Amino acid sequence: MKRKNGTAVIEAKGIYRTYNTDGLAVHALNGLDLVITSGEFTAIAGPSGSGKTTMLNIIGGIDRPCSGSITVAGKDLNAMNSRDLAELRLHKIGFIFQAYNLIPVLTAIENVEYILLLQGVGKTERRTKAAAILREVGLEKEMNRRPGDMSGGQQQRVAVARAMVSEPALILADEPTANLDQKTGSALLDLMKDLNRASGTTFLFSTHDSMVMKRADRLISLRDGKITSGRR
Amino acid sequence: MGLYIKLAWRNIWRNKRRSMVVITSIGMGVFLMIITMALVNGMNYQMIDNTISTSLGHISIHRKGFIENIKPSFSFTPPAGIHERITGVDRVAGAAPRIKIQGMIRSSEASQGVVVTGIDPEREKSVSNLESYMSGSEGEGYPDNSDGDWIIISAQTAEKLDLVPGDRLVIMFQDASDQIVAEAFYLRGLFVSPVDTFDKFTVFTGIRKLQSVASMGNAISEISIRTETRDDSIDVCSLISGYVHGDDIETLTWQQMAPSIMSAIRLYDAMMLIFFGIIFITVIFSVANTMIMAIMERFHEIGVMKCIGTRPLYIFIMITAESVNLGLAGMVSGLAASLSVTGILFYTGMDLSVFSESMRIWGTGSIIYPLVMLKDIISSMGIVLLTAIISSLYPALKAARIKPMEALNFI
Repeated sequence: MKRKNGTAVIEAKGIYRTYNTDGLAVHALNGLDLVITSGEFTAIAGPSGSGKTTMLNIIGGIDRPCSGSITVAGKDLNAMNSRDLAELRLHKIGFIFQAYNLIPVLTAIENVEYILLLQGVGKTERRTKAAAILREVGLEKEMNRRPGDMSGGQQQRVAVARAMVSEPALILADEPTANLDQKTGSALLDLMKDLNRASGTTFLFSTHDSMVMKRADRLISLRDGKITSGRR
Repeated sequence: MGLYIKLAWRNIWRNKRRSMVVITSIGMGVFLMIITMALVNGMNYQMIDNTISTSLGHISIHRKGFIENIKPSFSFTPPAGIHERITGVDRVAGAAPRIKIQGMIRSSEASQGVVVTGIDPEREKSVSNLESYMSGSEGEGYPDNSDGDWIIISAQTAEKLDLVPGDRLVIMFQDASDQIVAEAFYLRGLFVSPVDTFDKFTVFTGIRKLQSVASMGNAISEISIRTETRDDSIDVCSLISGYVHGDDIETLTWQQMAPSIMSAIRLYDAMMLIFFGIIFITVIFSVANTMIMAIMERFHEIGVMKCIGTRPLYIFIMITAESVNLGLAGMVSGLAASLSVTGILFYTGMDLSVFSESMRIWGTGSIIYPLVMLKDIISSMGIVLLTAIISSLYPALKAARIKPMEALNFI
């Protein structure tokens, strides 16, 4: 089902996040303002330590800002407790990690099903949906293989399928191609782009890969916790 | 829930060696528990059975005070036809009259205090194992009359008094009018029972002979009754308790006559509880330690699971299920091993003759036949499951409280 484009999925205003490391204050985000609308395919670029991951963590409700307001899918994250945030992550946000982070003892299809299980979807529907999305990402033959028996590219495709299966409003991907070779990374990006176009799901991902930056519809550059430039 | 059980089961096999060590330790705990319980059950069973088969019987009808005063004055005259009435009761295997008098046995070499027991040899066969205790011994064998001047003593007493079958010996005791009497008997045969005290202090002669020597007329000390099983004793006792009239007559079961045996069994049970407590405290720490290690190894993974929306309760359930799976696997292996071993020992017996003196003092016999009871298996299963759950509580709680942010940064 294709989503309607144009409404704001993320609205961040004046976000500050400071960490104390060995008594030293590290300002990861310094007054970040950001609006991402539905259906965008946006890359956040910047050098290591620029605040990309912190920004994704705060948007994903994994971390909380020291100050500033943040709304995701119409929900004010500052007003939510950890249980509500977990529910938001489960139903509204899909995650793709740099190191795939699949559950190693589950097969590809079980990993994808896992999200639907958490959502309380029945067994038959779970299996049907998981199989369909795995076919969509080109893993029809690998459904019953465990992550350890798959290549990095295949594992990341499973991770994409896991993120997509519950049809979330937003998918956050932290350097999804960083552990993949150029060809596999490019193929993965094509896949994500196709899914974005087909379903209208909003993609926001961090990267410092120039190939990924070029393929993004929108590029946000981050340095020292602030947005320095942006292009569409 | 099915996927969580599957997940838990697969997780425990991620580190096969570690899980096998834990499963083996739980299995060993279960094995030791079942084997120990089976041996103790077997010892208790044999101790009771031997005591019943030597002197006690399942039920006894006697005068009040007789157990404390084994004298002719604590005798009674049984009503006519009482034997037929008692043996006609359902679940009664046999009944026999006895006279018991405290006395002294003397040979030319030494003397010893004993309980002189007058028996009807034919009826005695139905209540005690005396005949089998005499098998293979020298002499004329099991007696066939109750009025001859024969006596049967244990091989142990014979050795002490330097007697052999055919020798003559003298027994002294108080008769019904409290006069000291002495009577000469010839040693007909020897017996060897599994109970040390019985061998040391019991001698047998014919009931009619003893009635005559002790001037007791037709009086007897007790009617000893054997039921088909020891568990029948209470029911049968209540059925026959009015068969011999008299305010001073009592009908007691073996449990009432030998409270010390019941106390010994309760003591065994208490010791077993302490023993099992020690085993399972060790298992609790072993499992908890393993689960904590497993969680530390999967700290990042559990964080990811929470990150993608897994509720803390599900993490808690998953870790508890892993611990329960370890417990179940250990329980199955422990049960299989212990039931196999006890199954073999049930037929071959465990020969503890190296401790034969101690075993005879306890009255168990030197070969123990283990006895596994269903309640022991059920209780061991319950203990293992409880142990597995208890040992998982802290690790499961720790895992459920993992913060996704910390876990994602954890390498």
